[in-house]
Amino acid sequence: MIEVKYFGAVAEKTKCEFEKLSFSEELSLQKLLQDLNEKYQLESLSFSVAVNQKIVSKAAEYDLQTNDIVALLPPFAGG
Amino acid sequence: MSASNRYNRQIILPEIGEEGQQKLSKSKVLVIGAGGLGAAILPYLAAAGVGEIGIVDDDNIEISNLHRQVIYKSSGVGKSKVEEAKLMISELNSEIKVSTFSQKLSGKNAISLFQNYDIIVDATDNISIKYLINDACMITSKPMVYGSIFRFQGQVSVFNYQNGPTYRCLYPDETNNALNCDDAGVIGISVGIIGMFQANEVLKMILGIGEVLSGKILVYNILNNEQQKYDFDKSDFQSLSRETFEEKYNKSEVEEISFQSILDEINNEKVLFLDVRNEDELPKMSLKNQIQIPLPHLENEIKKLDKNQTIYIFCQSGIRSKIAAELFHKHQFKNVKSVAGGALAMKQLLEEKKNSHEFTN
Repeated sequence: MIEVKYFGAVAEKTKCEFEKLSFSEELSLQKLLQDLNEKYQLESLSFSVAVNQKIVSKAAEYDLQTNDIVALLPPFAGG
Repeated sequence: MSASNRYNRQIILPEIGEEGQQKLSKSKVLVIGAGGLGAAILPYLAAAGVGEIGIVDDDNIEISNLHRQVIYKSSGVGKSKVEEAKLMISELNSEIKVSTFSQKLSGKNAISLFQNYDIIVDATDNISIKYLINDACMITSKPMVYGSIFRFQGQVSVFNYQNGPTYRCLYPDETNNALNCDDAGVIGISVGIIGMFQANEVLKMILGIGEVLSGKILVYNILNNEQQKYDFDKSDFQSLSRETFEEKYNKSEVEEISFQSILDEINNEKVLFLDVRNEDELPKMSLKNQIQIPLPHLENEIKKLDKNQTIYIFCQSGIRSKIAAELFHKHQFKNVKSVAGGALAMKQLLEEKKNSHEFTN
């Protein structure tokens, strides 16, 4: 199980602020992002990605581990 | 005496003391944006005794601002935000020097403005301005206190603090299109809370206390009171030269003009027609006030020309003349235009005109 947190405009698209996802075989960060893109159509949004409270490159080679927390953080513009 | 009475309750904090109060009174903070975030930040900086505060905003107060921009009054609707904010500060604490800049922040004014301040606060509601603030902070080596809102969530961070990570390290993709408050909606409390976090970062930096949110972004959700901090690193490729900055923000738009629209000026002695072709190129043009400086020699010759004169540049087809026009813009010439289509188009038009004259005669 991993947890994915959504913020700002990303959470508006996913219609939830977090979800838990289970995975059976290996799941890379890139594959997860690709799946989420397909599921929620996030292409139009720009966001940074954090794994366990640390911003990482979206292209990072990283295999997610059980209990990892991934966060999708778009920039905000209001003020 | 009155000064220390004013600040007594914060001076008795061991972390501040008389020394901290001195630091505050000597500090200069520039707040960009006098909207929701600015309205929260400004009174707290002023009340705490930040010696010099600059405010940049070219907006006037609208009735729809008042629910969140709480330093303004109903009677201020239609008035300049920076002037009303200055009035508020002078009533709150007349010891503070306030400078107002009723203008949009741009590539032209950002660097010279930032140079006069110690800390730059981003209280804007526009992503492209945030990149501009970030880049101008990098050029001038100033910390940028970032805050922004999406509905009931807010983000706070400090960029470029002691050469730390920047906005571009967090959000490298500049082509994003996040909604601002006008489009997404906002309540006053969320900008108030985030603005207060920003003011807090400003004071911490001035006083040298606590831990600055450098290399960390704080995300706050006012609906469930959850807050998270995310760490981020400085990207390897993050450096910015003044040349790159100028290229990005101050690239002059070269103005092109059709020969048709300036036909009446070919006999005007005050106007200069500049041929930037090489001497052997045809067709030859012979307008009244025409000179030739081939493009490769222009850089050397440009100083001999009058910066205020109207100059129409042409080449063979209108490409080199644009390059020449950019060179003129770089040298601060004010009235330089490139003739579209170049000598070929000009010759053709002159022929047509001549023929139609012969015909009518």
